[in-house]
Amino acid sequence: MAEVSLRKVIKRYGQMEVVHGIDLEIAHNEFVVLVGPSGCGKSTTLRMIAGLEEISDGEIAIGGKVVNRLPPRQRNISMVFQNYALYPHMTVRENLGFSLKIAGKAREEIDRAADEAAQILGLTPYMDRTPGELSGGQRQRVAMGRAIVRHPDVFLFDEPLSNLDAKLRSQMRIEIKKLHQTVATTVVYVTHDQVEAMTLADRIVIMRDGHIVQTGTPLDVFERPVNTFVATFIGSPAMNLVDGMAEGGAIRLSDNVRVPLPHGFAALAEGQRVTFGFRADNLMPLGHGLAETGEVATLELPVSLAEPLGAETLLLAEIAGKEVQAKMMHPRPVSPGEVLKFQLALDYCHLFDAESGVRLERKRDHGTD
Amino acid sequence: MSRGQRDFLIWVATFLVMLAICIPGLWVVLSAFRPNGEILTKPAVWIPRDLSFDNFRAIFGLGDNVVGIPVGSYFWNSAVISVTSTVVAVTIGMSGGYAFARYRFPGKSSAFLWLMLSRTVPGIALSLPLFILWSWTGLIDTKLGVIIVYTAINVPFTIWLTEGFFRQVPRDLSEAAQIDGCTPWQAFWKVEFPLAKSGIASAAIFAFLTSWNEYALASQLTRSTDSKTLPVGLMDFTAQFTIDWAGMSAMAVIIIIPALILTFLVQKHLIAGLTFGGVKG
Amino acid sequence: MKRMRRYVRNNAVPLALLAPAVMIILVVVLLPLIFSFYTGFTNYRLIRPESLWDFIGLRNYARVLTDADFWAALWRTVLFLTVALNLEMLLGLCLALMVNRITWGQRTMRTIMMFPMMFSPILVGFQFKYMFNDTIGVVNNALQSLGLSQKAIPFLVDRWLAFGSIAFAEIWMSTSIFAILILAGLFAMPRDPIEAARVDGCTSWQVFRHITLPFLMPFIYIAMTIRSLDVARAYDIVDVMTGGGPAGRTELLWTLIARTAYDDARMGRANAMAYVSILLSIFFTWFFFRKLMAARQHLGAF
Ligand SMILES: Nc1ncnc2c1ncn2[C@@H]1O[C@H](COP(=O)(O)OP(=O)(O)OP(=O)(O)O)[C@@H](O)[C@H]1O
Ligand SMILES: [Mg+2]
Repeated sequence: MAEVSLRKVIKRYGQMEVVHGIDLEIAHNEFVVLVGPSGCGKSTTLRMIAGLEEISDGEIAIGGKVVNRLPPRQRNISMVFQNYALYPHMTVRENLGFSLKIAGKAREEIDRAADEAAQILGLTPYMDRTPGELSGGQRQRVAMGRAIVRHPDVFLFDEPLSNLDAKLRSQMRIEIKKLHQTVATTVVYVTHDQVEAMTLADRIVIMRDGHIVQTGTPLDVFERPVNTFVATFIGSPAMNLVDGMAEGGAIRLSDNVRVPLPHGFAALAEGQRVTFGFRADNLMPLGHGLAETGEVATLELPVSLAEPLGAETLLLAEIAGKEVQAKMMHPRPVSPGEVLKFQLALDYCHLFDAESGVRLERKRDHGTD
Repeated sequence: MSRGQRDFLIWVATFLVMLAICIPGLWVVLSAFRPNGEILTKPAVWIPRDLSFDNFRAIFGLGDNVVGIPVGSYFWNSAVISVTSTVVAVTIGMSGGYAFARYRFPGKSSAFLWLMLSRTVPGIALSLPLFILWSWTGLIDTKLGVIIVYTAINVPFTIWLTEGFFRQVPRDLSEAAQIDGCTPWQAFWKVEFPLAKSGIASAAIFAFLTSWNEYALASQLTRSTDSKTLPVGLMDFTAQFTIDWAGMSAMAVIIIIPALILTFLVQKHLIAGLTFGGVKG
Repeated sequence: MKRMRRYVRNNAVPLALLAPAVMIILVVVLLPLIFSFYTGFTNYRLIRPESLWDFIGLRNYARVLTDADFWAALWRTVLFLTVALNLEMLLGLCLALMVNRITWGQRTMRTIMMFPMMFSPILVGFQFKYMFNDTIGVVNNALQSLGLSQKAIPFLVDRWLAFGSIAFAEIWMSTSIFAILILAGLFAMPRDPIEAARVDGCTSWQVFRHITLPFLMPFIYIAMTIRSLDVARAYDIVDVMTGGGPAGRTELLWTLIARTAYDDARMGRANAMAYVSILLSIFFTWFFFRKLMAARQHLGAF
């Protein structure tokens, strides 16, 4: 059993604190993804789990055992690095077998384990090449192979796919997912790509400036972001945010754009400033999508740009001088400047406190309005 | 003129230049095999008539005319001093280079600069106080005394070269090795050291050549057969007004050969070593 | 004291790794330099040990700085270094470019090019003393046999000829270091910028001037820095070829120091001069090191 616990973990470089007391419980065999913008402390956190970075304060336990003072080699973890960190002077076979060789395993056992890993990852034809003679994707596979050979308690990944092109990346994403299903192990995976996070994770941990902002399943964080930061960070295209004000049972976004208050926000005080958020998928031109049954508001908005993607077209529309993205299913050509009638699915809209950015909860009080 | 012709001309020109560079050395080598009589006659004898190993026999005390110079001892002293000081300097320098490449600590860049500047002190300026200090401590005229000095003068450059090399080796390789179960010590020897090999090899050859060829310090710090090195021994051929050119040429050949062999052995590393050690990153 | 202890504790590993290097340099370089700095203020003579305590203040420095021979040697040294380093650099650059151009037999050429690097400076001195000798020297013999000159040319006696001969020896010995380092730079040079420049219509000269040369600059400065670390090796050459003579006409700073210290046995005064020579070396090294750092930064922006 290898659950990983971080308790009030702090990292300081000299006087500068970069990770501010993180608490996180990762269950056995759980696939947890740490996401966040560059420099938010993801790698630092991961490296503290690996033992590559000293823990300034707090405690990390793996399998119930506090590992603060253990060097990496005694933690029974393996790690895939962003640049793979393959040993350039060793062949693929030697790379794969290195950890077992260090552990003093017998020659046959090492070879068997290396062959087995190569089998799983389709590396068998390349066993006698050096990393310099492999393509990016193959290197990536060797790095993963090296990690699985040890049968570790915990897999750590630090942006393992960021050096691959888009196509390979989605392919390897699937392979990692499969790998996790075959060799059930606890995984901590760092990325700043939210698509990777959504597709791979059992649970996503969103970090910002050394804090955890939100933890939850992918759907959780997509549907119920705790604040505007998560709302814009998770989901693509990013959620549209428009400043507005509660006024007479509606939200005034600009002089001529008003949206009725969605359900559950009746208690909003008159004149309260809010940020109104909705995703492109929920703003569509009339007759082009949105077969919704819930509450729908209709808005007339000028379109400034159309981006045809084939099955759908992304539209840039304008609200109160601010550009928002909308989607058009079964597209037809749209010329810039054209004013379209849009439908907005209010059930999927969010309101955030204008000051703090914190999302306002809907109240279950249908009766009052 | 076609491209092929031009390339050929450049080749010939390069070859001639290389030849010109070699001539002074080759002339000395040639003289090593000719008797003094033939070298010194006037008008000059251009085509050697009398090539033999007599000069070598003479300086090793084997032939008919014996030169009373203990070249064997000098060679042994040189070998012991150069090899020992090279090994020690590379070990010490490597450890220092690693510290500079891998760790951050306050005062790092000024420490680096000062170490480098310590190498700029001219041998002759250093030899004056060392001569006195070594006399007081009894290190004068001993191999150990020279070894210590040579180690110190070789350390800065070794640090420079190896630092550049270790900086080239990505940090995460060592980390990956530690996750794979290595102690930091194992990670160094199994991963970082093999990858920095060319840098270390070129540092070693530079250290060796410096020690093997050094004269200014050795000439002051050594006196007797027990410690005199080959370059110092070369002076034995000069009497007040005469120089035994033939014997000296033979000894020159003896000095060059080990350096030549070693340099050829590691010359592949030398270019790689200098390319990546110095500038990049 | 407390801060010191904290510093050591926080950086224990790198300090431990550096300790042997620092230690040996302290003992072999710094300690002697402190000692010689002290003797620079005494009337110390080797033959009279008690004179070590004969403190005479700045008198040595005053003597040295008012000594015409010293200034002559200093200027000759600076001139020597400037001429030698620049010529070595130019010749090394040419050699490297030539070797880089050829493909067939390049390895062999490269090896030949490194030939002089293996020579001990003292050997180089003897070699050229032998070749430039006015009676038996091969150069004079050749000139006379070819009828280019009637009588022997006093290469090692005439003031400027001797200076030139010494510079020649020095350049012969050290050009290959420049060549090899610049060649290393040429090998490391990326092809794209050159090709891009060709496409943009540059002539070969323009490519060299605007692409290759700027890229090579750091390598040239490295070579300069490395060379200026041990320019004083020229002492060996001069000592052998002319011994600073005849009549001090080829005296460089280093030979002057040696003579003052060992022949005249005036340690104190020699040490005072030695400090000037150290400053000179440090200046040259520091100068090129600064340029190197600047060039590196420039290259980083490539
Ligand atoms: N050795 C160090 N010394 C000082 N500060 C550091 C050090 N390493 C990292 N930091 C700082 O710690 C913070 C977190 O770095 P970290 O590498 O964890 O970011 P990250 O979330 O992994 O970013 P990225 O997505 O760019 O990899 C950054 O602000 C960084 O500048
Ligand atoms: Mg990172």
